[in-house]
Amino acid sequence: MIRLSAVSIKLGDFLLDNINLTIHSGEFFTILGPTGSGKTVILELIAGLYRPDAGKVLIDEVDAANIPPEKREIGFVYQDYALFPHLNVFKNIAFGLQIRKISPSMMKKSVKEMADMMKISHLLGRYPGTLSGGEQQRVSLARALIMKPKILLMDEPLSALDPNTKWVLCEELKKIHEKYRCTIIHVTHDFNETNILADRIAVLLKGKVRQVGVSREIFEKNGDQEVAQFLGIGPIKKAFACSF
Amino acid sequence: MKKVWLKDWFSFFVVIIICLVLLFIVSAVLAVMVRGIPRIAQSLATPEIQFAIKLSLYTSLVSTVFCIFIAIPVAYALVRVDLPLKFLINTLLDLPLALPPLVAGVCLLLFFGTTNFGAWLEGIGLSFVFTVKGIIMVQIFVNLSFMIRVMKAAFLSVNPRLEFIARTLGCTPAQAFFKITLPLSRNGIIAGAVITWARALGEFGGVLMLAGATRFRTETLPIALFLNMSTGDLDGAMAAANLLIIISLICLYIFNRCGGDFIGDTRGI
Repeated sequence: MIRLSAVSIKLGDFLLDNINLTIHSGEFFTILGPTGSGKTVILELIAGLYRPDAGKVLIDEVDAANIPPEKREIGFVYQDYALFPHLNVFKNIAFGLQIRKISPSMMKKSVKEMADMMKISHLLGRYPGTLSGGEQQRVSLARALIMKPKILLMDEPLSALDPNTKWVLCEELKKIHEKYRCTIIHVTHDFNETNILADRIAVLLKGKVRQVGVSREIFEKNGDQEVAQFLGIGPIKKAFACSF
Repeated sequence: MKKVWLKDWFSFFVVIIICLVLLFIVSAVLAVMVRGIPRIAQSLATPEIQFAIKLSLYTSLVSTVFCIFIAIPVAYALVRVDLPLKFLINTLLDLPLALPPLVAGVCLLLFFGTTNFGAWLEGIGLSFVFTVKGIIMVQIFVNLSFMIRVMKAAFLSVNPRLEFIARTLGCTPAQAFFKITLPLSRNGIIAGAVITWARALGEFGGVLMLAGATRFRTETLPIALFLNMSTGDLDGAMAAANLLIIISLICLYIFNRCGGDFIGDTRGI
């Protein structure tokens, strides 16, 4: 379980203010909000890039303040995939295993299995710069999943993809979640992705969590005016909610 | 598509300016090369020029290695660590770059020649005044800021998210630096090292102040050029000048090949 308890952090002019969130083990949790609302900062706080100015990030009820990122058992997938450009796909996926000093034969076997599952076996010798957005996304996911993380953090992983690739990967993300049962925290500004993937949703606006609930509650219950405005008020919202 | 250039008077005007600048630079360099090249083989055989080449190569290589090993951690700290008073630190680190080399030499001469610290160093065998070690010290002092600048640019070109992703995959901060940031900064390191070496090789003013200009003792190529010009030995001076020009041209070529691309390995991109 991940718990953010009264977490605040100021980064330049941006303030993430008094965030209280509980994400259950094995849950697919989506943080929904417009650009600049602080979604990525929440993920980076959980991952250990920042320490909160106030409040606590608790992972399995342990204060994570003194746990460095490498000990948090997390996987991170960024919007731009952040693949290592000087390493080929095989070495990108095997990177974490190499750090853990896994034997070369075991490493090869694990990478092959993961590449088969992500349908990227034919790309193992290629460099990231030669891959399409969808292929890079699969490599980035494979690199994170091969470490069997307890928590998978995904920062708008589908936003740069064309609609067809996006929906194919959405389905695959659901399957991955069903297979690994790791806790997934996924941030997006896309309502469709949210509805397809999320067990629960938090709406984040201007650095504050404004509403938390399952999809139907978020899209049908009246939150405050700003939330309603962001989600699309009146008939637009209802039509949207009905389509899922 | 065929490029259309000189399409108007303004383009014509700026191209003329480029031509004049090129003409000026090439003529000045050729003036030395035309006189020096025919006699260079003969001059290379003289013990004085051979000594100057050996000393220049030795001091510039040693100082470049020092510059690399000092500049890498300093530049990394300036780019990635949230230091207080960073602007002031940056300005102070850039100071040797802005100082005329003669002034840098005087600063070092007074520091090592008149202070208790300098006397203590001399006591433990590290004498920098009028010695070969002094040449190396001047070259480090004058070029370190430049190497730091190049390395800062190289580190800035590496997406910090890559390092963070490496951390989430199990790397310590040091492992993330050595496995991700440093390999991706490879071109910056090569470019910085080559141009630092070229600058060290040509360092004159500071060396003159701290190490002096003594034949067969602190006689680097620029000092040999100066001494030979002073005594009217034009052949020796031209040989030293031509060697410096040729080395500079080669280094500039390598710098431009590597320095234009700080994004690391681009195989396949």
